[in-house]
Amino acid sequence: MAGAEPGVAAAPPAEEPGSGSLCAAPLRLARLPLARVKALVKADPDVSLASQEAVFVLARATELFVETIAKDAYVYAQQGKRKTLQRKDLDNAIEAIDEFAFLEGEFLVGLILF
Amino acid sequence: MAERPEDLNLPNAVITRIIKEALPDGVNISKEARSAISRAASVFVLYATSCANNFAVKGKRKTLNAGDVLSAMEEMEFQRFIAPLKESLEVYRREQKGKKEARKDKDKKADSEEQDKSREEENDDDDERMEEEEQNDDEEVDN
Repeated sequence: MAGAEPGVAAAPPAEEPGSGSLCAAPLRLARLPLARVKALVKADPDVSLASQEAVFVLARATELFVETIAKDAYVYAQQGKRKTLQRKDLDNAIEAIDEFAFLEGEFLVGLILF
Repeated sequence: MAERPEDLNLPNAVITRIIKEALPDGVNISKEARSAISRAASVFVLYATSCANNFAVKGKRKTLNAGDVLSAMEEMEFQRFIAPLKESLEVYRREQKGKKEARKDKDKKADSEEQDKSREEENDDDDERMEEEEQNDDEEVDN
């Protein structure tokens, strides 16, 4: 793991071992505002409490998800020789990729309507 | 506790920035595509929360924790997120710890600086030293 000393606060270094992950700044703290993510978490009637860490990890996971789906959709734009990502590229990606199945049809409607 | 639809959306500007940084330079996103991704992101949070909550319930806990969210990623077949998420969590924890210690250190440092000053001036003005000590006391009271 990273060799940073405990108690050394401050900004995470740009390069750390094993940081070859999904985005350019994998160790950057969440850009999505935690308050908004927390509002979504609280919208679930089955959830009583969520730790601050849980909200943070959710925010980061959502960022990774956005990166992932954008990249996956872009493949279809490239196939269509376009430099603009369009809605249909998203639809194609969601249909083609198993992990995005939760975005399809009834599940989606069910979640939105609670 | 019904939320208005706007409350369940994530900020467009941030979503757009994340998308742009994930894609090569010169690539654009249509408004519809951006909006669809934003909604998908909200659904992702809701779905992940629901999954994570199952793990909390299984663990007989009322509070969702980071581990539950990681377990949810596994469940949702986003295993490749887990390593980067763990790294981010480490950084987050260090930052949180650092903030706490920075606050403690700042107070300690302020106190010892005051004490050093008074020691230096011991041979000088007694009045000044008392002033320093008073200030020192003020700092402690603030704590």
